[in-house]
Amino acid sequence: MVALARRVGQDGTVQTAYENGTGPARPAWRATPRPPLVRQRQGKVIAGVAAGLAEHLGVPVVAVRVVLVLTSIPFGAGLVVYVFLWATMREVGDVDPAVASTPTLSPAPGAPVADPATAGGATTPTTASTVRTQHHVDLAAMRTWLRSGNQAVVITLLGVAALAVAGALWLGGAGLDVHAELILPVVAIVIGAIFFWSQLDDTDAIGARRPVRWIWLVVGLGLTILGLVGLLVRGTKLTELWQVAGAVLAALVGVAVLSAPWILRLWSNLRLEQAARIRATERADIAAHLHDSVLQTLALIQRQSGDAATVARLARAQERQLRSYLYDEDARAGTLGAALTAAMGEVEDLHGVPVQLVVTGDRPMDEHLDALVKAVREATWNAVRHASPPVSAYVEVGPDAVEAFVRDHGAGFDLDTVPDDRAGVRESIIGRMERHGGTARIRRRADGTEVELRLPVRQPHEPEPAATTPAPPGAPAAPTAPGTTPSTTTGSTPDPETQEQAS
Amino acid sequence: MTDPRTIRIVIVDDHHMFRTGVRAELTTLAATPRAGAFTLEIAGEAGAVESAVKVITEQRPDVVLLDVHLPGGDGHGGADVIRACAGVQSGADVPVRFLALSVSDAAEDVIAVIRAGARGYVTKTISAEELLTAIGRVADGDAVFSPRLAGFVLDAFGATAGEVAEIDEELDRLSAREREVMRLIARGYQYKEVAKELFISVKTVETHVSSVLRKLQLSSRHELTAWAMGRRLL
Repeated sequence: MVALARRVGQDGTVQTAYENGTGPARPAWRATPRPPLVRQRQGKVIAGVAAGLAEHLGVPVVAVRVVLVLTSIPFGAGLVVYVFLWATMREVGDVDPAVASTPTLSPAPGAPVADPATAGGATTPTTASTVRTQHHVDLAAMRTWLRSGNQAVVITLLGVAALAVAGALWLGGAGLDVHAELILPVVAIVIGAIFFWSQLDDTDAIGARRPVRWIWLVVGLGLTILGLVGLLVRGTKLTELWQVAGAVLAALVGVAVLSAPWILRLWSNLRLEQAARIRATERADIAAHLHDSVLQTLALIQRQSGDAATVARLARAQERQLRSYLYDEDARAGTLGAALTAAMGEVEDLHGVPVQLVVTGDRPMDEHLDALVKAVREATWNAVRHASPPVSAYVEVGPDAVEAFVRDHGAGFDLDTVPDDRAGVRESIIGRMERHGGTARIRRRADGTEVELRLPVRQPHEPEPAATTPAPPGAPAAPTAPGTTPSTTTGSTPDPETQEQAS
Repeated sequence: MTDPRTIRIVIVDDHHMFRTGVRAELTTLAATPRAGAFTLEIAGEAGAVESAVKVITEQRPDVVLLDVHLPGGDGHGGADVIRACAGVQSGADVPVRFLALSVSDAAEDVIAVIRAGARGYVTKTISAEELLTAIGRVADGDAVFSPRLAGFVLDAFGATAGEVAEIDEELDRLSAREREVMRLIARGYQYKEVAKELFISVKTVETHVSSVLRKLQLSSRHELTAWAMGRRLL
């Protein structure tokens, strides 16, 4: 035995099959260990017991369901087993569905679909990952309908079927020794409990994943009470019904009052435990992130500590990454703010000069805003290359227009002296803005240059006109005083030669 | 011009390295002659809420450089220090002024410390010269806004959406002039550049900024806190 295990171990092929060493080689289909006995979330009809059982045993789920239903009919044994398993089996955790549905859950091509009238919906084909070609379309539609939250309907079907079975037994039970007046209330209680528990089952401990459907709780409670009353009023007169109902209610209330503190205690303990687990997970996430990014960067910085520029660039890039992690930049994906942050990050990475970006307001990206981001990027790129820091960019998203200002502290430049073949300013900033209906203007100040961009925008709900309209010439783009601060607008003057530069 | 006054400061930050760095930078810079210079005296340091309160009440400095995140207290960091030191007066019998200094971009941190009573908010990446200017300004009782804080104010008061106060005293909106000042500060303008741009004096700019600070501290604009919770400065 040991030798065998060692030999196979060296062989290294089916080593896992021998780990517990409980016997000779398993058949090939058992090479993977038996999946754990857990209730399945996928492909479940009531609570996923049958699906989980089928997976664990490696038999088709339909067979399990048929057996459960068939054994339920005479003495309710299947039902008892089901409820017992429901109470004891763990629900599957957030397992990857691909992992959860192992190949052992083989499709059952020829499995007979039980008649819904007798099988009572329990065998309605919602088996996990079984693909049956003959009923493919019907099954898919049925499955989506079932998963769309109509479980209660299935449960109702089951209940009606069970009642029908019980009723049939009652009517035809003259020969058989069946106490219908016993069976009917019990069936009512069981169905009520199923209603009640099905809601409990789908509810997460911390905040319901979906709202509890109180109607089903009430219906379940009502059925249970009716069943209990039915059990107790057996053989008594109708006038005593209210007394019995009152007694049942009083008993239920008493139980509720007595058990409430315990349930509350359990509930709060569960919450605490879950909160602790969430914290632990978050902590692990953060640790993983720190290891992947921060520690790596620190190692790089130590190795290149002589190169101040590289160190500064690495530190800045890391800072940006960490900020985006801390402040959850992912949530803003696809908005102007996120695009600008990314563009400024690129510029910083390429040149190592920090850019201070301030954005007020935000809106989803479109092609015009994309042009604006590219123009801002170009202006910032010019600033970090030719001017001196600090470089700052301010973008204001207003109701009518998005305005952007890129400011540096360099000596500035004269647009006339820039050679025509240099596409940077004229093409990438001014031309681009004009093509998208915006304006650009470049102001030279005493201690630097400021590029001002303005792009008219429409409210998201307004229809977009076919042609882009140029910005109104008198738009209050910036709080400037044109009379004394000579600045130039290029919005309506496509010819760059007409531009003046402030001195 | 010749104002040979001494500004006494206390540095409160839980990172010893940062305190040492700021102290060295400020001491070096304050020693070099500058226009309109004041001399700087670092009266003390602290690394937690309780020790900070103790040092501030003992030393009674003019300005406290205050980190937003600090251990101790009620868990609100810098805001706890400001509240505990309410009523403490500096040697010149004016209230001790607080300048918040933080790496945090979270709007809720900023709003918390400003509403607790800080006279300004700058990020730790600020240059030493700018920090020195900011200290001088805060010591004079003026407000110091970083571009980020200005952007935050514009956003929080709905100024970018075109909301403008009809009367200057209205607490829940910025006046047109205040909005212009905030916009220029957000664009990276220094106060004197703002003044030049708007043809007003630096003193008037300071008045406007102080008025915005007052609105930020006193406004009950309902969006302000909720807004701050859901966002961070960019």
